Amino acid sequence: MIDLEDGAAEALFLPIHPGRRFCILHRPSRRRKIKGAVLCVHPFAEELNKTRRMVAAGSRALAQEGWAVMQIDLLGCGDSSGEFKDADWQQWLADLTAAQRWLTEQYEAPLWLWGIRAGCLLAAEALPAMNNAPNLLLWQPVYSGRQHLTQFLRIHEAGEMLSGNVERSVTEGVRDQLFAGSSVEVAGYELAPAMARALHEAEFTLPASYQRVIVVLEVASQEAGLSPASEVRFARLEESGCRVKFRVVRGSPFWQTVEITECRALIEATRLLLSQQST
Amino acid sequence: MLDQVLHLQGRGAVFRLDTPLLGSVPELDSMSVAGVIAALEDRFGFAVERGEIDGATFATLGSLVAFVKTKLDD
Repeated sequence: MIDLEDGAAEALFLPIHPGRRFCILHRPSRRRKIKGAVLCVHPFAEELNKTRRMVAAGSRALAQEGWAVMQIDLLGCGDSSGEFKDADWQQWLADLTAAQRWLTEQYEAPLWLWGIRAGCLLAAEALPAMNNAPNLLLWQPVYSGRQHLTQFLRIHEAGEMLSGNVERSVTEGVRDQLFAGSSVEVAGYELAPAMARALHEAEFTLPASYQRVIVVLEVASQEAGLSPASEVRFARLEESGCRVKFRVVRGSPFWQTVEITECRALIEATRLLLSQQST
Repeated sequence: MLDQVLHLQGRGAVFRLDTPLLGSVPELDSMSVAGVIAALEDRFGFAVERGEIDGATFATLGSLVAFVKTKLDD
């Protein structure tokens, strides 16, 4: 008999002050022993939208394998309370801790944080509040919040450029304007000064005592090794006692492509690498 | 790489150096211009500073290639 409920996804709201957060829980297949619980940490602004389909597909694939996967829209994102301008980095970390606590209550299984792009910055920063317990799964990690902010603000610059507005004072002033305390609209997102500052200061740093498994997956358009940024970082981590696994798969940069695209190879690699860690 | 970022589905393969980009390739909007610059930075390992790029850089494939060459020679 086919079990229609098996590995089903369920939408729910977690009450987290202020308001509530929209979550999707992908229940693990009952045909397998539960392998672990995964909390997904989404990327920043438009990359959240671009990555939704891949995250949904990845979550389904993992649920079929016996993983419980939870997606949460952080404050001011997606269907959660608040507007993007209300979003707050510290509150995002608190949202993650609350979601992790809830997930841990539901499933007694090894915990993973699944960071995507800038979500990797948040995941690393959230570890101490979770007693450094979770393992990390990182998709195309952003290591420097400063660089990520620069790339995000460039959308604004490019918009000015395309509209023929080449007055340097306009484009160059965006970051100054933010740091002086005014919000800036970039691609439909109202970026508040505090959020810009927090992102600017965020760096991918693991707690000194952290000794878990880290799975890093990157997507490259052609045969390529791990990005130099990842290589440098993770060689050092292995020395400090973490078990680090890398994989580079071929595909499009789905987090920024114009059309929503999928990269099945990434999902397949994720499924395989996570399964290897759970045995 | 343009083909990948802009999702041109292979149309990029026939681009020549004098192929016009801005104003001719509908997929090039502010988001994707930013995406192309970020992809160039990742691929070639340079950083594009504010004010280094303007509409002329994205006029044709040739002007974009010329820009990358200048950055690599720096």
